[in-house]
Amino acid sequence: MADKLSSKAASVDRESKIVDPTRGVPEPKYEWRGLTNEWDVRVIPGPHGLRLGDVNVGSYGEVPDYWEDQTRRPRGSVGRPGIPPLPYSLRSKHELWADCSADLYEEAIQRRWIPATEVPWDSLQTLPDDVEKAVCQMCTELSQCANTELEIITYWQDRMSYGYFEVKQYLATATFDCARQLEALRKRALSNGGGLGIESRGRVNRIILESSGGWTEAVVYLYLLRGTYITRLLTGLLSAAHNEAEAFIYSHMLEDHARHLTYGYDHLKYASTHKDDASLIMQTLLAVGEAHMAAELKEGVVGSAMAIIFGGGIKGARTFGMERYLLLVRDFITDYLTICRELGIDREKTLHPVFKKYLEG
Amino acid sequence: MSEATEMPREHELDTSWMDNMAEWGVSAKPGKRGLTLADIQVGSYGELPKVSDNMTGRPRGSTARPEAYRVGAYQVHTLSEIWLENAEYLYEEALQRQWSSATDIPWHTLKPLPDDVEEAECLLCTFFNEVEFVAGDVPARWIARTTPDYLEARNVLSAQVMDEARHMDVFRKRALANGGGLMRMSGATSGFVGSIDLARDFTEMSTRLHISGEGAVLTMFRMGELFGQNDAEKTMYRLCAQDEARHVAFGVMHLRCLSETAPERREEIECYLDEAEDQLMAGQQNPAGRQSESSEALAVLLGGGIEHYDEGHKKLLVIRRRQLKEYMKRVISAGFADRFENGRSPVPAQYAATA
Repeated sequence: MADKLSSKAASVDRESKIVDPTRGVPEPKYEWRGLTNEWDVRVIPGPHGLRLGDVNVGSYGEVPDYWEDQTRRPRGSVGRPGIPPLPYSLRSKHELWADCSADLYEEAIQRRWIPATEVPWDSLQTLPDDVEKAVCQMCTELSQCANTELEIITYWQDRMSYGYFEVKQYLATATFDCARQLEALRKRALSNGGGLGIESRGRVNRIILESSGGWTEAVVYLYLLRGTYITRLLTGLLSAAHNEAEAFIYSHMLEDHARHLTYGYDHLKYASTHKDDASLIMQTLLAVGEAHMAAELKEGVVGSAMAIIFGGGIKGARTFGMERYLLLVRDFITDYLTICRELGIDREKTLHPVFKKYLEG
Repeated sequence: MSEATEMPREHELDTSWMDNMAEWGVSAKPGKRGLTLADIQVGSYGELPKVSDNMTGRPRGSTARPEAYRVGAYQVHTLSEIWLENAEYLYEEALQRQWSSATDIPWHTLKPLPDDVEEAECLLCTFFNEVEFVAGDVPARWIARTTPDYLEARNVLSAQVMDEARHMDVFRKRALANGGGLMRMSGATSGFVGSIDLARDFTEMSTRLHISGEGAVLTMFRMGELFGQNDAEKTMYRLCAQDEARHVAFGVMHLRCLSETAPERREEIECYLDEAEDQLMAGQQNPAGRQSESSEALAVLLGGGIEHYDEGHKKLLVIRRRQLKEYMKRVISAGFADRFENGRSPVPAQYAATA
């Protein structure tokens, strides 16, 4: 059809519209030849293939503290004057960097999984109604957490300068991970006689999404505060999985989430050691964040759902199920304080009273 | 722990939420391709709102809470703005066809190339390194702006962000793995009015990115067998083409959906296509276009060296011809065939001139 159309149009409007595609190139100028900052680079693949970090050699591996360029010039390539800038607002290394980014990027690719075909869906068995409701409610809650993570990453992604492309590459995998988590959780909720539950009120989602001051601020809430809690939730869900399908989903989500936290903690460490005041800012943010987190913990939907899952039903939830959940929260706060300490953020003295209460049991 | 343990009042079990579950009794079953996104489009969970009022980021079909915070200022909240009929399939395909540039490219097949050929390949890799992440940055931005009610379309865009990161990575690796290096950037992807970056409407962006920009690149990747100098490069182009085809399919299917569901926007879309077509051969975003340095490099690669430039240039014209033909097919498929029949588009004439 295209052939027929083209000959018709060519005859109708040949004079005004034809631009001969052959015009303009016949004599090559080769102005590009020899224009390189560094030549003779020959990176050889290692036992794990040719990884992103492997090609960080010579000047190509030099990551500056500040990236002036607001174009998409690949790091190490020759620039071109007169190129209009793009709105890359994160141009300092301390605003986004984590040394592990390139490795996490490759790991994410190697550890990809496919909910449609790799989750053993045929292992699902009918569960008691109260347990199914609890599982579905957790799928709903965790979906909303994954959605928040997806939205905050993609909000910042295109503001990050190309000098730090390893971080952008890694965050692309995190974006995809979040999409896959949304998919897997939705599939679990809709495949075993249940459905979705009630949405979260969204206290912590709100503080994450409203972190407009900088990516680091978002990372404080997304990974250090909430992410640390989600790890404990996923670990708890994995230990109480009812079938192989759930075990597969939770264990793979944990793998994904562990990468996300590794980036998050590593970035906060980098920021706190390379930017004056960063630790103090994080401390202030966390004092505010803990209050929201505490309020969310007290709301009870997640706690009750987890208690029902741990207790094998409402009856067991009222006793040992809730007790186990409270231990989970205590473990979360212990982890949180340990990481804060390692990052040089003092939270123990002014820890939110509700957090203290959970710690004291 | 014991069953006799009494919980403090504040830790008493709250089961009120159990009375507020959304549609219940849903049992989606896996089909031949596993449990796909299409399989869970059941009951109310499969109902797509034409206009989404979801401002809280809740999963589609879950029960809304009146007291939930309105944290989602979603710019894209009408179905016609972003929807496409085959989003579920494109997303599942993307998951099945992920690949690793570290381990799936036969890097050991790289052999030293003559300087002119290595330089040409490295220029092309620099170009692709630069442009591939336009296609990562921009869709990412639109994910955050789109209501989660259209999660299938958002998930396809998430897969695209991943794909483009891998493309950027594979071209950088190639440039630095065979005795060459990166060369001069093209600057083709900067913020000019009418560029992919600056579009303030999703469909405008998709028309530029998926239909014209990635469409031209897809044709090139498909021709990678012609200009790839070894199995590593041929594999690289083949795998990138596979990904790129999904991205282009997104644009075509979305445009088709929009033209059917929002016919009042057709003339506006025609204007985007006018702009895109002005740039298709003349702009720098097409690596085989008339204005780009990369087209010289391509001719060197296609000819097998500078001394065979003329021969390479003839092959380059075949690529351009194919780009034009495939572009027209896509636009026709998207429901905009008229522009090629009524003289509005210069592409048929350009195509005829290459015969």
